[in-house]
Amino acid sequence: MRHRRTPIGSLALLMVGILLMLIPLQESIHKARPHLFDPDRKTRRVSAISIGPTPAVIAALGGFRTLAADLLWLKAEHVWHGGSWWAMLPILDAVTQLDPHFILAWQVYGWHSAYNLHAESETIVDKRYWLDYGVKALERAVEANPDNWEMIFELGWTLYDRAHKPWRAAEYFYRADQFPESKSYVTRLYYRCFERVLDFDRLFPALEYAKNRHADPTVSDDVQHQVIVTRDMEWWTQHKDDPMEHRRQIVLENTARADRAVPFYLYPDNPYWDVCSICGLPSPKGSEVCSVCGAPLKRLSRGGVEETTGVSRQSNL
Amino acid sequence: MTAQLAFLIGLVVAIVALALTRKQWGPAAGHAIPSIWRIAKITVAEARRRRVIQAVVILVVVILVSMTFFSYLSPHEQSRMLISGGLSAITVFGILLAIFIAAFLIPQELESRTVYAILAKPVRRFEFVLGKYVGALIILAAIVVVMTVVLVGVLLIQDQLVQDLPDSAFNPNLEAVIFAAVMNYFAVAILTGLIILISTVASTTMTVISAFIIWAVGSLQSTIHDLAEHADIAVTKLLLLVVYNVLPKLENFDYRHEVSNYMPINVGSGIEAIVQGAGYTIVVLILASIFFNDRQV
Repeated sequence: MRHRRTPIGSLALLMVGILLMLIPLQESIHKARPHLFDPDRKTRRVSAISIGPTPAVIAALGGFRTLAADLLWLKAEHVWHGGSWWAMLPILDAVTQLDPHFILAWQVYGWHSAYNLHAESETIVDKRYWLDYGVKALERAVEANPDNWEMIFELGWTLYDRAHKPWRAAEYFYRADQFPESKSYVTRLYYRCFERVLDFDRLFPALEYAKNRHADPTVSDDVQHQVIVTRDMEWWTQHKDDPMEHRRQIVLENTARADRAVPFYLYPDNPYWDVCSICGLPSPKGSEVCSVCGAPLKRLSRGGVEETTGVSRQSNL
Repeated sequence: MTAQLAFLIGLVVAIVALALTRKQWGPAAGHAIPSIWRIAKITVAEARRRRVIQAVVILVVVILVSMTFFSYLSPHEQSRMLISGGLSAITVFGILLAIFIAAFLIPQELESRTVYAILAKPVRRFEFVLGKYVGALIILAAIVVVMTVVLVGVLLIQDQLVQDLPDSAFNPNLEAVIFAAVMNYFAVAILTGLIILISTVASTTMTVISAFIIWAVGSLQSTIHDLAEHADIAVTKLLLLVVYNVLPKLENFDYRHEVSNYMPINVGSGIEAIVQGAGYTIVVLILASIFFNDRQV
């Protein structure tokens, strides 16, 4: 059995050298992942009312926070299907605190408060409270996810559609629209905010802005966008000097048309349903005949190619 | 600037130390590699005979496959759940297996006295320690690969089975999942080195307990850093800073959060974490060799 003397001095020197070389790395790793290592991330107040887990619990879960959020999300699904709408709130609060980057949870949290709980409330004060609560939740979501256009859009939509604050909503639509992956409807909603309140000083620059966005003639969505924006621009150019009451009436009609719910199966290119041209009701895609009235759903075109008779209708947005 | 200076000083010190000891490690290096490899192979062969490892791997596979039964969720939620749960299973069972494999490697040899037969041959003690470490790394690599392959397979199958909706698509995020699993393996490798270090001086029970504590604390290092920064009492601050600087920063290797939320992955920070972990493990293995060399066997 060999047993040599250990050169402890030299080895200690080597270890000190290695450890000194590692010091800059930790600083760099912290900078690269601020959402995990930002010192303020746990001390920041994350909830309007303290119903979720405490910061200490969140910290103690370490890397298992995402898993804990997922398990609570499953619980939220059960509670939702059980119809306990008020019980959803603490669960959603806990989920978003455990995983502030869980976009769907934030969206449901904000929507549930601003729409469902608002509708469930009986007094105006309560309704106002839950609407503000939903908006605040979405504001926190945007703060936690400033690089996610869907989150910014969600806040804009709630302000536009539910809180009726179009100028504030316009700020968020514009911000969401700056992301390359944002959709053309976000651009159009930006100018619709000003359209709704007849703010012509902002409407025409917003229409000009929308005209210059999504202008690729090879993309069908962009072509559709250009048609809608051109139509709106021409219409408002023509009617901007009409009497105020007339313009207001038109806006109200437009708004009513835009807000009217379009049945899901009438959205263009839906992959699930064909719509019968006789009775107007949906049947599963690929059906030979309408499941309601029995009319044939497929017919042969002039070239002998099979075509569906399903109609599609464009949303007014 | 301070960090760059520390790096430069460290580099100079390490080069000086290597130059001073070149007569000792130079000739030994050629002999060491075959010896380390032989011991590693024996370690792997011993581990293959342990039924408990196979049972745990089968359990993980069953857990991963059973996670496909969330069909009532939307496609996006399903993929998120599968990724988050799958990576957590790989992390937990990877660490558990690392603890129960590494904690027994050296103490078992000492208890069964087989170490006498090995060290009677021309095998140096540091070669024995490194051989055990390399053997453990091979076993753990095989286990992590099996678990990752199963997770990727489940994600791919679900991607085919789950029908996407217009506003919710199943996204297996495969590249990021594989990256997270690889990073998890490096965390396991660092912890294994540390467990071997502890096992050279402590009993098996003590090693297992220490390993669990190190895992828990190592996974909360940023919290410990925050606590140290906000501590008012000087002694507490010092204690927390010692813990922060001495124990491995395992959360640097944890990418579950980014992958589950489909956030962009910063590969550069992963590489930096690996380099940092490698440096840390070298120091730990040097210490383990010193302790084992000085141990009366």
